[in-house]
Amino acid sequence: MKKNYSINRILVYVFLVFTFIVSVFPFYWMVAGMTNSAVDVIKGKMTFGNQMLSNITTLFTTYNMVRILLNSLKVTGFTVLGILIVSSMAAYGFQIYSSPAREKVYGLIILFMMVPFIALMIPLFRLIVKMHLLNTHSGLVLTSIASVFIIFFLRQSFKAFPYEIIQAARVDGAGEFRIFFSIFIPSMKSSYAAAAIYSFMASWNAYLWPLIILQTDKQKTVTLMISSMSSAYFPEWGVIMTAIVIATLPIIIVFFGFQKYFVQGMLGSSLKQ
Amino acid sequence: MLKRKFIILVVVCLFLVVSSITYAESTEKSGEITIWSWDPNFNIPIMQEAAERYAKDNPKVTFEITELAKADVEQKLHINLASGVTAGLPDIVLIEDYNAQKYLQSYPGAFADLTDKIKFSDFANYKVGLMTLDGKVYGVPFDSGVSGLFYRTDYLEKAGYKSEDLNNITWDKFIEIGKKVKEKTGKAMIGFGLDDGGLMRIMMQSAGKWYFDDKGNVNLSNNDALKEAFKTYKAIVDSGIIKKTSGWSEWVAAFNNGDTASVVTGVWIIGSVKADKASSGKWKVATTPRLNIAGAVNASNLGGSSWYVLENSKNRDLAIDFLNQIYAGDIDFYQKILMDRGAVGTYLPAQSGAAYSKEDEFFSGQKVYTDFSGWIKAIPTINYGIYTYEADAAIFTVMPDVYSGKISIEDALEKAEEQLKDQINR
Amino acid sequence: MTEKGISRSFIKPRDKYGWLFISLALILLGVLLFYPIVYSLYLSTMSSKGIVQKFVGFGNYVKLFQDSMFILALKNTLTFFLIQVPIMLFLALILATILNDKTIKYRGLFRTAFFLPAVTSLIAYTILFKMMFSLDGFINGVLLNVHIINSPIPWLLDPFWAKVTLIIGLTWRWTGYNMIFYLSALQNIPEEIYEAAKIDGANKVKQFFYITIPLLKPLILFTAIMSTIGTLQLFDEPMNLSQGGVTSATIGPGNSLLTLSVYVYNLCFKYMPNFGYAATVSYAIVLIVALLSIIQFKLMGDKK
Repeated sequence: MKKNYSINRILVYVFLVFTFIVSVFPFYWMVAGMTNSAVDVIKGKMTFGNQMLSNITTLFTTYNMVRILLNSLKVTGFTVLGILIVSSMAAYGFQIYSSPAREKVYGLIILFMMVPFIALMIPLFRLIVKMHLLNTHSGLVLTSIASVFIIFFLRQSFKAFPYEIIQAARVDGAGEFRIFFSIFIPSMKSSYAAAAIYSFMASWNAYLWPLIILQTDKQKTVTLMISSMSSAYFPEWGVIMTAIVIATLPIIIVFFGFQKYFVQGMLGSSLKQ
Repeated sequence: MLKRKFIILVVVCLFLVVSSITYAESTEKSGEITIWSWDPNFNIPIMQEAAERYAKDNPKVTFEITELAKADVEQKLHINLASGVTAGLPDIVLIEDYNAQKYLQSYPGAFADLTDKIKFSDFANYKVGLMTLDGKVYGVPFDSGVSGLFYRTDYLEKAGYKSEDLNNITWDKFIEIGKKVKEKTGKAMIGFGLDDGGLMRIMMQSAGKWYFDDKGNVNLSNNDALKEAFKTYKAIVDSGIIKKTSGWSEWVAAFNNGDTASVVTGVWIIGSVKADKASSGKWKVATTPRLNIAGAVNASNLGGSSWYVLENSKNRDLAIDFLNQIYAGDIDFYQKILMDRGAVGTYLPAQSGAAYSKEDEFFSGQKVYTDFSGWIKAIPTINYGIYTYEADAAIFTVMPDVYSGKISIEDALEKAEEQLKDQINR
Repeated sequence: MTEKGISRSFIKPRDKYGWLFISLALILLGVLLFYPIVYSLYLSTMSSKGIVQKFVGFGNYVKLFQDSMFILALKNTLTFFLIQVPIMLFLALILATILNDKTIKYRGLFRTAFFLPAVTSLIAYTILFKMMFSLDGFINGVLLNVHIINSPIPWLLDPFWAKVTLIIGLTWRWTGYNMIFYLSALQNIPEEIYEAAKIDGANKVKQFFYITIPLLKPLILFTAIMSTIGTLQLFDEPMNLSQGGVTSATIGPGNSLLTLSVYVYNLCFKYMPNFGYAATVSYAIVLIVALLSIIQFKLMGDKK
C-alpha cells in the first residue's frame, strides 16, 4: 500500500516536471533572444549572445519606452480598479439579490458577451468620438470597466459563498453595503485576486480597441508598440524580444503579488474560526 | 543734400525690411501635419527625413508621425472612413499599391484629388496608373517594388554558372539551374512558402496579366499566364530545389542562414539581405525570371506603396505642398533614403543622382540601383483591380491539392474561379 | 410560516439594493454595448463596399449558406472547439487538483511556471511557436534525436499538421490560464470535506470525480463557456501563426486555419470592406455560441 502510494507520487512529479519544462522553455528562448541580434534570433540561435545592452539602448532611445510603459501602467491600473469595484458589485447584486427580473437582464448581458468585438467597433468608435474621448486614456478605461467576463466569473465563484453568513450579519444589524465591503470581500480574496490578475492581463495585452481609439504615438501602449515593431520589412527581433520581456515583467510581478491568496483557502479558514 | 539722401536711403531700407517681413509672414506656412505609416525601419525614418527637410524651410510646420503595423494602418483607416467621422483622420496616410483602388472606390470623396497639384509625368508610369480612378490621380507615388533575382555567386559558381547565365532567363531555366545547384552544393535554390502568393504575383505581372481582365472581371480559368504560373509553382515544388518555409521570418532566415542560393522578390528586401554581413561580397542581382509564354518580360514588381492625402483633413493643402516639395521635387532626398534605407523611389529625375550609380561592395561591386532603375521602366503596367486579396485566398485554398496532384491544374483554376466569384458577389 | 411576514418587509428594500449594486455596470453596458449591438444588427441587413451601401434585408443571412469560404471557416472553428477545449479543460482541472494538494512540494514554483504561458502576449507566443515548429526547428530536432520520428513533421506546411500545431499552441497558452480559475475556486472548498471523504475510504481518483468536479461545477461551466466564446472568436493565433509578411495569401496552408473571426476580420479590413456581411457572420457566431452555451448549461444542470 505504502509502495503503491509512492509510485503514484513519482508519476505525479514526473508529470509536473514535464509540464514545467514545456511551460517554461519558450521563456528561456525569449530571454536568450533578448541578448542576440536580429539575424541570430531569426536563425533560431538558442544560446546567449552579447547584444543585450545594445538592444536595450535601442529600445529606450529609438522608441519612447519609458513613456509607453507609463501609459500602459496608467490605463491598466485604472481599468483594474474600476473593474474590481463596478463589476464585482454587479456580480454580487446578481447573485445575492437574485430576482426574476435581474435574471433576465443577466441572461441578456451574457448573450452580449458572445458578440465578436469586431462587429461592434464601428458604432463604438462613433460613440467615443461623440463623447470627445477619442485619443484619450479615459476613453479606453471607461469602455472596459464594465466587464461582462469578470461579472460572469465572479458570480460563478460567489455561488460557493454560504448565504447564511449574510443572513447572520443582517440579524446583527449590519447594512447591505457594509456586509459587502467588510464581510463579503475579505472572505472572497482568492476570487478577487484571480479577477485582478485576469483584468490586469486583459488590459495590459489589449490590442484591437486601444489601436482604434489611441491616435498618436504619445498615447500608445506597450502592446501597440510591439505590434508595430514586428511588422517591419526587416524587424529587429533582438529589440522586439527585449520589448516583449520588459512588457511581460509587470504581469509576472502582479501575479506574484496576488498569488499568495491562492496558497490558503480563505473561505475555508474563515469558516474554521 | 547728404542728409536727405541718407534719409531716403533709410526710408528705402526700412521699406525693404518691412516689406520683406510682411512678405515672409504672408507666405510662411504653419500647422501640424499628421501622418500614419508602418515599418519603423523603412517608411517611418524616411518620412522623418522628409519632415526634417520640409521643416527647415518652413519652421512653423510641425509633424506628428504615428507608427503602426501595416494591418493596423489599414484597419484604423477603414474604421475612421466607414464611421463617417473625420475627427480622427490624419492628413497623410500610406497605402499599399495592391489596396489603392479598393480604398478609392469604396470611400468616394475621401481622398484628395492631386491631378493638377503634382507633376505625375516625373514618376514611373506603372505606379501612377495604380492610383488613377476615372482620369483623376489621388496619390503621390513612393517606393518601388521592382523585383530582381538576388543570388549567391559562390554557390552558383560551384554549380558552374556565371552572371550571364542568370540574366534574362525563364522560370524553366531557373529550375534547371536550381537542380544543378542542389546537386553540386547541397543547397536549396530558393526559400519557398507554399501559401505565399508573392511569386505568383511576380509571375503574373511579368506577363502583363492579373487575376482580372481590364474591365475588372474575374479571369482565372481562361488565363494563360495564370495557368503557366500554376504549372511553374507545381514544377518548382516538385523539383526539390526549394527549402519550404512558413511565414516571413522563416523565409528571411533561409537566405540569412545561407541555406538557399537565391531570392526572387522586391527591391525592398535589400535591407534584409544585407543584414547578414558575413555574406558580403557574395551576392549579385539579376533580372527577374519570366514565364514561358509570349509577351512575358524579365521585369516585374512586388509590393510598393504610396502616400495619400485625406480630402477632409485639417491641413490638407499644407500636406499636399509638403509631398509636392519633397517627394516630387527633392532629388537629394531620394539619394539620402537610398543610401540610408535602400529605398528605391519611383521619382524618375532622382535616378540620375549619385547614389543610384554607386557600386555596392555587398553585391560584388555591382551597380545594383542603376540596374533596378532600368528594370522599373520595363515593368508592365496593369490594373490590380479591387479584389486581389480575395483572388489570392481563392487560389491558395486549392493550391495544396495542386501540389499533391489530387486535382489537375485546369480543375483547380475552375474551382478557384467559382470560389472567387462567390466571394465577390456577396 | 411566521417568517413570511418578516421576509416580505425585507424583500422590497433589498430588491432596491439588488438594482443599486448592478446599476453602475448596467449604465455602462447599456451605453457602450447595447447601442453598438443594435446598430450592428441594423448593419447586418446591408451589403456594402465601404460606405457605398445598399439594403438587402435578410439577403446576407441567405448568402451565408452559399458562401463556401464561410462554411470552410465554420468547419475549421468547430474542429478546434471539439478537440481543443475538452483536452485543455481536463488538463487544467488535473493540474489544479494536484497543486491544491498541500503535500506536494514546490507548489508555488509549479503554479507560477504553469501560469507563465498565460502572461505572454499573443504576438510573442505565436512568434515563438512559429520558430519552434518550423521544419528544421527545435521540436523536429528533438523528435528526430530521440527517434520518435524518422523524417521531420511538416508542422506548419501541411493543412492537417497546421491544425495540430494550432491546437498544441492553444493548449500551451491557455491551460494555465484556466487552471488558476479552478485553483481559486478550490481554495473556497473547505478541506474538511476531503478529510471526511478520506476517512470514508475514498482514494484520490474518487475524490476528484465525486467531490472536486461536482463542487467546481459552476466554474467548470464558466470556463467551458468562456472557452467556447474564445474558440468561436479565435483570432490572434491563426492570424499570427500564418502571417507571411507582405504576401500571405491564406490563413494556414489551404486556409486550414481560417476561423470565423478571422473571416470577419478579412471581410472588414483585408478584402473589399463589406461591413454589413461581416456583421451577419458575427451574428452567426453569436447564434452558434449561444446554442453551444445552452447545451452546456443543460449538461451541467446549472439553474441560471
